Amino acid sequence: MTETKNLLEIRGLYKSFGSTKANINVDFTLRPGEIKGLIGENGSGKSTLLSQIAGIYGHDAGEMFVKGEPYDPASPLDANRAGIAMVMQELGVIEKLPIAINMYLGRLDRFTTAGVIDRKLLRKEANAVLEKWDLPLFGKNAMPSGAIEHNKIIELARALSVEPDILLLDEITQSLSHNNRDKLYNIMNKFKALGKSVIVITHDIDEMIAIADSITVLRDGEVVGDVVTAETTAEKIRYMMVGREISGDYYRADTAPDFRDEVVLKAEGMTLPGEIEDLSFELHKGEILGFCGLSDSGIHSVGKAIYGLSKLKAGTVHLAADGTRIRNGATALKRKMAYVPKDRDNEALMLHARIVDNATLPSLSIVKSFLDFLSPRKLKKLSNEMIDKLTVKTTGYAQNIDALSGGNKQKVNLGRWLAKDLDVLILDCPTRGVDVGVKAYIYQLMKDAKAQGIAMVLISDELTEVIGMADRLIVMKDGRPVRNIERGDSFTEHSVIEVMI
Amino acid sequence: MRKLNIKLQDIVPIIAFLIVLLFFTVQSGGRMLSPFNLNLLIDQSMVVILIGSGMLFVVAQGSIDLSVGVNLALSGVLGMWVSEKLESPYLMIAAAIVVGLLMGLLNGVIVAKLKVPSFMLTLAMLIGVRGIVHYIQFKTDVSYVSPDLYWMNEPGNKIVIFLVILAIMYYVFEFTRVGRNSQAIGENEIVAKYVGVRVDLMKIVAFGLSGMMAGCASVFSILTVGGTSQTMGSFMEMKVAMAVFLGGVLVTGGITARMYKVILGSFTITIVVNGLAIIGLPQTEVSQSVEGVLLLLILFATIVANRRNARQAAIPDDDALQADGSA
Repeated sequence: MTETKNLLEIRGLYKSFGSTKANINVDFTLRPGEIKGLIGENGSGKSTLLSQIAGIYGHDAGEMFVKGEPYDPASPLDANRAGIAMVMQELGVIEKLPIAINMYLGRLDRFTTAGVIDRKLLRKEANAVLEKWDLPLFGKNAMPSGAIEHNKIIELARALSVEPDILLLDEITQSLSHNNRDKLYNIMNKFKALGKSVIVITHDIDEMIAIADSITVLRDGEVVGDVVTAETTAEKIRYMMVGREISGDYYRADTAPDFRDEVVLKAEGMTLPGEIEDLSFELHKGEILGFCGLSDSGIHSVGKAIYGLSKLKAGTVHLAADGTRIRNGATALKRKMAYVPKDRDNEALMLHARIVDNATLPSLSIVKSFLDFLSPRKLKKLSNEMIDKLTVKTTGYAQNIDALSGGNKQKVNLGRWLAKDLDVLILDCPTRGVDVGVKAYIYQLMKDAKAQGIAMVLISDELTEVIGMADRLIVMKDGRPVRNIERGDSFTEHSVIEVMI
Repeated sequence: MRKLNIKLQDIVPIIAFLIVLLFFTVQSGGRMLSPFNLNLLIDQSMVVILIGSGMLFVVAQGSIDLSVGVNLALSGVLGMWVSEKLESPYLMIAAAIVVGLLMGLLNGVIVAKLKVPSFMLTLAMLIGVRGIVHYIQFKTDVSYVSPDLYWMNEPGNKIVIFLVILAIMYYVFEFTRVGRNSQAIGENEIVAKYVGVRVDLMKIVAFGLSGMMAGCASVFSILTVGGTSQTMGSFMEMKVAMAVFLGGVLVTGGITARMYKVILGSFTITIVVNGLAIIGLPQTEVSQSVEGVLLLLILFATIVANRRNARQAAIPDDDALQADGSA
């Protein structure tokens, strides 16, 4: 065989699910020491391709070679043996189990004698992996539940513990905050230096250009381009992905704060032990107030707290108009507030319910008429209007949410709130896990909402997003607000990062 | 084009009902549908449906109310006692419903505010309150329905009253926020809370309705039997829960909870129990085992249908498949 040059080679790969063709005649190569980016819109077949390499699915037709040897993994463990490990897009951590067990789940045999696990040895090996790759340790072995980022790092550690030659990363950076992203980039560089390779999927084109050596672009299951990063631009890649030009003004074009004087919402001395310390701010009509910070800065607790979902130890959140305190979600909902949580699939949408059930949930108290009657006709109409307005790709209002792609799910998640008459909209990572097309669309929705005078809180791990959209920015560190920056000359990633760290 | 949107999981309970009905009608040589037995069937189904229509709110939220049987007994015994003490026959109805409601509300408050899992709480109630029922029954002795209420037990009148109550419950579950929000809580309690649903209040309301309907059913039960007894309502919670699940509602609740399923499931279980007796299997160990096996078969078919449907839903989407693969 002549493929010795390539670590991984794929020829003519086909994969379909029922009538959906996920991969069509895919050719793909990976050289030793190469960081390969894989990009495409939601549903373009990137995850499917990685899953086949990782042994999660078999392929319908085509061939794969690893180091020149034919390769056809029957399971993820099989792939691990061939030196391939993957970190999945969706979470795969059992939260109640210790970190070390999670890292070696499915591969506990060598720590086991007569059915008993040698925990000491297990912990020692797990620690060795964590230290080798400089991953943050969590103090005690107990995992805090619900923290996406922590789970993600455990998954990463699990993949690294296989000592892979090829590491597959499916949209993991989006779940990581700034400091941990840097750690991940360091790991990638170490791989490169060792002559090992990484395949990475991310929706952030700028990030991909910064980290990848070469980029393969997928569209509708087919490879439409394979380019060396140094010879391309973000525009060219975007064009390849969607097959058409995407307009340049992705973010806001203006460079000065622009909102009305009228205060809508006031927070005074908000304190939630361990998460938020003494946070005060005023939110104005038509303003986008950004929050950013490192992973332990507490920014993701802010949205929940503003919407009245956390029991504050001290401080208040109240409406400026009549001083109504927001103490629970029901009050917030009634007073025209909206909250879009970060974890879309677990905290925002009822995955097994229909679009109409999800779309109308926040609007039930508006739809109701005499005797609390919820007219099925009105509910349908409301859903259909939202589907049309946001061009949700679906077979109709009765389709289940879990049959939609990530971007379309997010459209429903946002659209159901925008269908209402809103005063305050709280967004926590609204573009997490969506492709450029939908991302641009969400920014447009935010601009429209701003023009209507809706006051918005934008919490995000993507600095460019906050800088691109916000009027004012509150940088948080260890739960405390450390700097208030207004849109203007000093509104750059560089100046914000300096404050964050 | 109007798309036919019928799911396998919705059909299985209907097919099961039809098969059960056909099987026992043929096996009994038509005696199953004789006027006398039909009357009996409807009487027995009514009580199950009434309780089920209340319990549905609880099941929709992903909880369970195992105290409905003992609640039926308590509200019946107390209702009769109050009406005899005050010599007001009609007071029995009001008192039974109020007692049922109060016990339901108590369950709801404990589940919502003290975060006690509903299964444990209502299991404890099922055992503990039965003792109270025995005590009251022992003190007050068996009581009989006042002749003033006999008119309500006329088949025609009874069915009209039943249908009116059922229509109200149907409306509340299918067309109001109480029903919708209960389904949302069952689908994902965090989602419901984060949207701004009053989750605690909804739980209290659901248990309140469940208890109230148990009280309501106790009136029907007393009218049919003619009085109270120590064992009234025994195993009723199991029968009703079975009816709800046989109808195709999943234990996790959510949008699989529908009122028509309760009605369907109630008929299915009533026919199974009644049919076995009619074809000559007396209430013995044999008939109970056969009953158990039959119910298991139907439930199995329902669950398999549900799982198939879940898999189909996942196919068109890259992301969803991903989630499937990692699970």
